[in-house]
Amino acid sequence: MTDPYEVLNIPSSATDEEVKKAYRDLARKYHPDNYHDNPLADLAQEKMKEINAAYDTIQKQRGSRGGPGQGYARQSYGGYQYQSWAGAESSAFEQVRVAVNRNDLAMAEQLLAQIEDHNGEWNFLKGTICYRRGWVDEARRYYQTACQMDPGNLEYRQALNFVENGGASYRPEGYNVFSTGCTGGNLCLGTACTYFMCNLCGYCGMRFICC
Amino acid sequence: MFGYVRPAPARLSEEDKRRFGAAYCGLCRTLGERYGTAARFILNYDFAFLSILLWPEETPEIRRRGCIAHPLGGRDYFPGNQALELAADCSVILAWWQLQDALEDPGKGKTKYRAAAGVLNGAYRRARDCRPGFDRAAREQLKRLGELEAARCPTLDEPADTFARLLSGVAGEIKEPVRRRVLEQLLYHLGRWIYLIDAADDLKEDFASGSYNPLLGRFSLEKGELTGEARESLIISLDNSIRLCAAAYELWDFGLWSPVIRATVYEGLFLVGKAVLEGTFHAGSTEASRCRRNKELL
Repeated sequence: MTDPYEVLNIPSSATDEEVKKAYRDLARKYHPDNYHDNPLADLAQEKMKEINAAYDTIQKQRGSRGGPGQGYARQSYGGYQYQSWAGAESSAFEQVRVAVNRNDLAMAEQLLAQIEDHNGEWNFLKGTICYRRGWVDEARRYYQTACQMDPGNLEYRQALNFVENGGASYRPEGYNVFSTGCTGGNLCLGTACTYFMCNLCGYCGMRFICC
Repeated sequence: MFGYVRPAPARLSEEDKRRFGAAYCGLCRTLGERYGTAARFILNYDFAFLSILLWPEETPEIRRRGCIAHPLGGRDYFPGNQALELAADCSVILAWWQLQDALEDPGKGKTKYRAAAGVLNGAYRRARDCRPGFDRAAREQLKRLGELEAARCPTLDEPADTFARLLSGVAGEIKEPVRRRVLEQLLYHLGRWIYLIDAADDLKEDFASGSYNPLLGRFSLEKGELTGEARESLIISLDNSIRLCAAAYELWDFGLWSPVIRATVYEGLFLVGKAVLEGTFHAGSTEASRCRRNKELL
């Protein structure tokens, strides 16, 4: 088995506090929020598993119980839940979601093209396919349409927020540039924090990091 | 490519600056050794960055020698390795196809492009024989881009996709599957960002001359400038591409180059993007002035 200290990139002489800090930094880096709808999410998930396992091992060795590790283990990496839809088109949309989850974007797009009703869900899924391809401008436009058609849908709102505000994206210690439009100062900090707060309801695992 | 990809100098240690400078000079030398002195004029930061992304695990010792641009005092450089050779080959191939594209464009003066193509002709043939896959990808994607330009494509993502795929194709040379996946993503988003920032840099000129520019098709302008809303949309696109580069970067250990890449994807690209949008970024034209600025910047 790999040395847990090596995984966390700290010496075995590190204090409990240093272990916790190293764990938190790495967990923030590989958090699902940073790999939302990202074709590399599986690699991030692997990293997160290694980090969680290393942290748990050190905790056990040192005889302490619990800790923030458990908050992360349950996070999901952008995989969709099945939703039950009423109406004839429901299973067609489910099939699109399955294809998106498999990262088979060509198939997802093909299935979507066969659906005539361009409702909120259709626009959301189209946006998701675009985002996974890196086509951010189109993705944002489809998410905007989805939100206009179905303003109460949290999933759509969250996807749009993620594109527009960057989510709680990770930055290394000491780095504080958030955007091309604003490379320093407090204004961008404000926006990022607003999103942080909104996000709390969706991702409970983030709580201990912000507070 | 065009020299937009740079680390934020304030984030680099003296050692990192020296090392990155040595990769830049190493690429220049590799170009010279493989393709002759004239090929060195296509050197730029984007390809130096490409070479450090592709860097092999073993790192050679930095050497020091005088060169054509700096006969006195000498410069630190890395002797040629597979990453520098790949970056050199790709830069020759891309420069060649971009010249062909410029020669086909009916709107522009041809003399200087013909002269450059004449100089690069032999170099291109050698590079093509070394990297047939990249040559094919470059030709195909630039042809697609030409068609989109001719049709005045009104979206950003589609034309940007051509250049993004072209650059992403370089990752095909990497054998290790996880590293290849990471680089495919990183280079895709980096290529998209380069294409868009170059379009933003050329906006005024293209607006005046009536040339194709994806931003002109996608956004409405006021007095030749992007409106506030258009600017915001563009920034969101640029920011997301940078974040996706950073997310990919974190999934592979880039070893000794980690600080330079980190200083690029977490800050350098934002700073360059801001300077371009504010009209304060100026890419240089000659190798000598680039080297001078390289020294000033680093």
